[in-house]
Amino acid sequence: MNQYKIIFTGPVGAGKTTAIDSISDVPPVKTDAAASDMTKSRKAATTVAMDYGIMNLSDGEKIHLYGTPGQERFDFMWDILTVGGIGLVLLLDNTRADPFKDMRFFLDSFSEFISDTNVAIGVTQMDLSSKPTINDYHEHLQAMDLKPAVFSVDARVKNDVSLLVQALLFSLDPGLEGE
Amino acid sequence: MKNNKNKPLQIALFGMDDRAYKTMSMYLKGPCKGIAVVVNEFEAEIDIIDADHIKAKALLAERKNKGASRPILILSLEELSIEGTLYVKKPVSKEGLLTALNKAKEILKTERLKQEKKITEPEIKKEEVVVAEKKQAGIKHIDKEEKKKVSKHRTAMDLTEVGFSAYIGHVDGIDFSDRKQLLNASYNSKGFFLGYVQSALKVSKAKGRILQLNSGWKPLIIFPHSKEIWLDADDKQLRSFAGLAIKSNSSQGMTLTPVGQNSSNFNNKMEGFYDVDYFLWKLAIWTSKGRYPSTIDIKQPVFLKQWPNFTRLVVTPHAIQIAALLILAPRTALDIAKVLNIKPQYVFVFISAAHVLGLVGQAKRQADDIVLPSKEIKVAAKKGLLSRILGRLRG
Repeated sequence: MNQYKIIFTGPVGAGKTTAIDSISDVPPVKTDAAASDMTKSRKAATTVAMDYGIMNLSDGEKIHLYGTPGQERFDFMWDILTVGGIGLVLLLDNTRADPFKDMRFFLDSFSEFISDTNVAIGVTQMDLSSKPTINDYHEHLQAMDLKPAVFSVDARVKNDVSLLVQALLFSLDPGLEGE
Repeated sequence: MKNNKNKPLQIALFGMDDRAYKTMSMYLKGPCKGIAVVVNEFEAEIDIIDADHIKAKALLAERKNKGASRPILILSLEELSIEGTLYVKKPVSKEGLLTALNKAKEILKTERLKQEKKITEPEIKKEEVVVAEKKQAGIKHIDKEEKKKVSKHRTAMDLTEVGFSAYIGHVDGIDFSDRKQLLNASYNSKGFFLGYVQSALKVSKAKGRILQLNSGWKPLIIFPHSKEIWLDADDKQLRSFAGLAIKSNSSQGMTLTPVGQNSSNFNNKMEGFYDVDYFLWKLAIWTSKGRYPSTIDIKQPVFLKQWPNFTRLVVTPHAIQIAALLILAPRTALDIAKVLNIKPQYVFVFISAAHVLGLVGQAKRQADDIVLPSKEIKVAAKKGLLSRILGRLRG
């Protein structure tokens, strides 16, 4: 049986676990562990393996929602994760010192997967830090010759996460019709 | 004199969000064996600042100013040497942090000895409490005022075809099923409230001043710096006014006047504030009512510069689909409707709203005709699966 996945990635604290929680039909399996060092001083608990949620479809099919570990030392797992992936949701934390650097890092790390599928970008924490703006992100992306959807996202709000995933799906095929 | 030898250092954290704050608290308690505890800024002896925070410079200046002789620890990815501060390189190691905290402890000890010669301890405490109370009172005041303000980031409204007609209203006298009438179903924004708001925004932005647009209806106030609009009207009222054609002779009643920050108009009505983009997008939808802007040549392709920020806008039917198609290559409005098999009104409304935000353009160069895409769109291999996911998300 096929394992279809939507991959959620981004730096520590960008809201991957919360976003999966927002649209999962089951309580997500959280693999957060207390941070034992200050490699990333952003989060009391950080995802050391991966988060996992499920979306049940009308025909009984399941879509697996995977959150990549935020810590870069686990990047060897990302290749394994993306096998069977439908597309990528990249979440960026707007309060980080250089969110563009984060964006470039993740787009570069997943470049092969993105070229095979597509990506939609959600910018979180914009209520705490309104700059850079969504337009600033688009300018950076255009310099990289990319035109993905970029939305302000509150990962706790189901509608925000849902619209972001819908944008990803339509980017894969604008002719889709919901069943 | 108190014996402070075994008492944990009291530190305040700056430039850290809740998660980083908790992480640091746990880190000090665990790996650092409780050498320090995190307290509020008024009780702290030492300040720790995350230099990679977006406002780190301002925070450092503020702490140097307010904290006076308090030791300051700077956490940074890049090596820093700032006078009067102790540097800890990130990723923070236990040894690095403990060394810096012990240095800070020594500085504190020296400072205390100096202070004890000048002033007695209870007097210091009393003074700190008074300052703290004043500061806290100020913070409470701001919070109280802020709470009155409804978030300007309104959650996106996701409209279906069923609710859409009722939402936008309709224009009498246009039969959209008649191709000839369809091609002429345009509107000139200059003849509607939308056009006047757009002009007023341009003037306000150019002058960098808060301006009030007086239309003979309700005053609309523009805040160019925060990119906000204030209008004391509900959706129903605004929709009605947006759809009214304003005759050119009656537009003489439209005036722009400067407004002071303390205007009594909006001070007690925080719910009237809108993000400019959200407001314009909505106003364009209600002006369009399914028509396209007359500045667009219906027979020429349009292009989409970038995706609209849909989570903060009203999502009209098929808007995400139209954006996904149009971002790939320019197309005419009618071609979009045909390829996606949707009513042209939905395309016209999207183009109207995106056009008013400057997201849609129409190039007239010869080259644009050459790069026109094929009529068909690439169909995803997993179309059925993707459609079911879409259906599930739309619940």
